[in-house]
Amino acid sequence: MTESKRKNSISRRSFIALAGGAAGAAAVASLGLHLDWETNNPKVDIDALGLDTFKTEVLVIGSGMAGLFAAVKAHDAGAKVLMVSKGRLGSSGLTPFAKGIFAYDPAKETLSIDEFVAAVSRSALGTNNPVYTRQMAEHSLARVNELKEWGFFDSTLYNKSFSKPIEERNIPIQERVTITHLVKENNKLVGAAGFSIDKEKVIIYEAKSIILCTGSGGFKPNGFPICDLTHDGTVMAYNIGAKVTGKEWNDGHPGKAKNAAACYDGWGDMFEQKPGTTGIEVHHDLGVDMNYVAYTNGSPLKMGPPGSGEKTEVSGGPFVPEEFSRQNSKPPDNGDRKPPKGGHGDGAPPGMGGSIVGGSSAGMAIHKSEGLVPINDQCESNIPGLYAAGDALGSYMSGGIYTQIGSSLSGSAVQGGVAGEAAANYCKNVEISHISTSKIEEIQEEILAPLKREAGYSPAWVTQTLQGIVIPNFVLYIKKENMLKAALAYVEELRDHHMPMLRAANMHELRLAHETANMIVSAEMKLKASLMRKESRCSHYRLDYPEMDPENWEAWINIFKGDDGTMQFEKQPFNSWSA
Amino acid sequence: MSIVSINGCIGCEECIKSCPTDVIRLNRDTKKAEILYPEDCQICHLCRMYCPVDAITISPEKSIPVIVSWG
Amino acid sequence: MGLIMNKESKIYKLLPLILVFVGVPLLLWALGEFPKRSVFKELLSLIIILTFSLLLGQFFLTRTNKILVKQIKMSSVLKIHKFIGYVFIIIIMAHPFFIILPKFFDNTKTPFEAFTILLTSFNSLGIVLGMVAYMIMLIILITSFFRFKLHLQYRTWRKVHGYLAMLFIITATSHVINIGRYNSTSFSIYYLIVVASGIFYLLRIYLFKSTKKVIKND
Ligand SMILES: Cc1cc2nc3c(=O)[nH]c(=O)nc-3n(C[C@H](O)[C@H](O)[C@H](O)COP(=O)(O)OP(=O)(O)OC[C@H]3O[C@@H](n4cnc5c(N)ncnc54)[C@H](O)[C@@H]3O)c2cc1C
Ligand code: SF4
Ligand code: SF4
Repeated sequence: MTESKRKNSISRRSFIALAGGAAGAAAVASLGLHLDWETNNPKVDIDALGLDTFKTEVLVIGSGMAGLFAAVKAHDAGAKVLMVSKGRLGSSGLTPFAKGIFAYDPAKETLSIDEFVAAVSRSALGTNNPVYTRQMAEHSLARVNELKEWGFFDSTLYNKSFSKPIEERNIPIQERVTITHLVKENNKLVGAAGFSIDKEKVIIYEAKSIILCTGSGGFKPNGFPICDLTHDGTVMAYNIGAKVTGKEWNDGHPGKAKNAAACYDGWGDMFEQKPGTTGIEVHHDLGVDMNYVAYTNGSPLKMGPPGSGEKTEVSGGPFVPEEFSRQNSKPPDNGDRKPPKGGHGDGAPPGMGGSIVGGSSAGMAIHKSEGLVPINDQCESNIPGLYAAGDALGSYMSGGIYTQIGSSLSGSAVQGGVAGEAAANYCKNVEISHISTSKIEEIQEEILAPLKREAGYSPAWVTQTLQGIVIPNFVLYIKKENMLKAALAYVEELRDHHMPMLRAANMHELRLAHETANMIVSAEMKLKASLMRKESRCSHYRLDYPEMDPENWEAWINIFKGDDGTMQFEKQPFNSWSA
Repeated sequence: MSIVSINGCIGCEECIKSCPTDVIRLNRDTKKAEILYPEDCQICHLCRMYCPVDAITISPEKSIPVIVSWG
Repeated sequence: MGLIMNKESKIYKLLPLILVFVGVPLLLWALGEFPKRSVFKELLSLIIILTFSLLLGQFFLTRTNKILVKQIKMSSVLKIHKFIGYVFIIIIMAHPFFIILPKFFDNTKTPFEAFTILLTSFNSLGIVLGMVAYMIMLIILITSFFRFKLHLQYRTWRKVHGYLAMLFIITATSHVINIGRYNSTSFSIYYLIVVASGIFYLLRIYLFKSTKKVIKND
């Protein structure tokens, strides 16, 4: 990123220092950024903020690929559905940017589904949950055919095709509403709560069942279009006792050194293409190999065709199973940027040549590896009535590494459908409960707290500080005990002293404040899970434990909130269901 | 920087709804889209692609420091 | 409708008008800090900008422009006026389509979707002004075309045409200033000056009836 010019006052040097580790936190503070962090001057009239209440049977939170199918299938299974999203249907989360969707078409494939699942499991080194891998393959073609019918493949913009089935079924949808709370009363899931940035209102939802289709999240990184997602679903669910998983894995998407933050430019013209389908092509991709090369050799790092680059010049680093190493597979037709090729699988995202930098998707794990822990193949969590689908479910469909190209999108579609049906069936046997007035008042208070603070810390400043602490390669990707612990100390400081003092001047900042809090919790989860997993496997790499440890670590890590409110961890053996 | 300017806006609000990070809002007086929070722009071009009259201009440069994993 | 300007001297005599109604907008466009877009899109925009400024020029390309009529033959002035009138009004009529033309070449909204949004954005003052101006323009076009079938006295016709033109130019200019992609302050000032002087010129003639001499030339 040396050649990029910058007009603002921050010098490149102090800026690099900023990325330079936990010490960067101090650097941010001393940069003299005009962030106005002392006083709060709310432009919103807090006392005038209203409150709305809605009732439904199934509440679908999120309007990406998973949310779409969750709403449609829950409706078709007879439930009254309400969809709510932080953004717009088909234009929020990661879904708008994915252009290749996997469909297992038995007529076209030479591998049977059994063989396909076996190949994924071999590449994933056991980290995948074969039940979800199989489910994705089995249902993918049906979902893709429905999408085709709705016109999904006709436009690069998904709002129109997604609106078709939703409008046909008259499913109400509320957009630009940020959900901040799942509500449990008398040990029962009773609804959710959040706020609308347009109506400037707190909104309460009473529901029998909730499907979290809130996608994944990151640390608002630069170069990957994930800045609207901060693991909200995971953190909300964690707060009411759900188990979550997958925090030690890392997505290793690189970015272009020049204008690293420009997602669109980094992906060539892929964002502007129509989607297409992909067939079986199992790899072991986009883990942290490149991060390792950058760590050992330093920057700049050039991105050559996959398998031909500097990977061969370093010894050690993340283990890639022989069968799936790019050197052994036939050279992929690099530069081919047709939609089905896009996304995961190519060594480099389309259009990425020249010098590259890391951390473009910092804070996000491999799709489907992180999220709520399912207790069965129905996308159900350990909290009755609470379901999750797509990137919000830790289904380990792909494992701790990317295996099948295009399966992330179809996995979200398939799981959305499964969860929708399951939630609708669950509703048949339960009564709707009301949320008590005292609970509503308590939640309202919590939601609006940042607006009421007279002094505190701006979400933008806390976010930048957090990024300086966790995003460096030697913290997030090439891990070792002392660095993880050092970073954790900073993050705990943010958690204990800054999270309770986040302030907001308007509804936009209120959303940022809640997102920032979720990022801090996610960072704690990521660091602690990384410390716990004392081995290297797939996209989790420990410099101090570089080998796989089959004896102790044929297991996933589940995270949950203990009775005392602290973060607890447990192992769940591969190929087993959580109790 | 990032999202730079809006010219020839017809106030249809497509960009406002389509922006994942709530960067753009409708100006209540002029009834036109207005760039309110450019520092939160993730340079994804969704707003531009959803705009029916191609009113939005976006630059690849970000207006606040870009933090990456190595440099 | 054809305009045959066979003598270079005519062009030379029209030069001041060309400068004001082609040169100045071009200059403002080139100097303005407008975001650069693809050649195709810029070309479309330029055509629309020039068309509009030439339409503004119509105020000065009439038989009431004594200076010009003296220099060039009356019939030529009228020919130019008619040519610009018909050809450029057709371009202006098509300009809403120009705006959505690029949608034929990308994978985003279809031209039809974009156009539907365009035509239903009633909360935009600029769009409403544009639609009103469009209607008036249609009326001007139709009445001009069927001028002789309307059996109007020349005087009446001229007044109707002039006032309609005035109304059109006021709404159209407000439309351009409100919603034009190239609505810089300098462009606005330029339009305002041209429109104000055009209207002043027209009104002076209408209200003070000092045009008899000119009409004798008929
Ligand atoms: C650039 C890029 C390219 C990709 N390419 C491919 C590809 O080619 N093939 C492939 O298979 N996959 C690809 N992926 C991955 C794929 O996009 C995702 O795995 C998939 O779209 C996830 O869908 P989802 O519905 O689970 O979540 P998302 O699409 O992320 O949707 C999350 C939804 O939740 C909402 N939400 C979040 N928090 C809240 C809250 N607090 N309150 C209310 N709503 C909330 C959001 O607004 C959003 O609507 C790509 C991803 C990116 C970023
Ligand atoms: S480029 Fe993306 S993030 Fe930036 S304003 Fe447009 S839609 Fe929003
Ligand atoms: S989409 Fe385009 S025309 Fe519509 S409000 Fe946004 S900038 Fe204006």
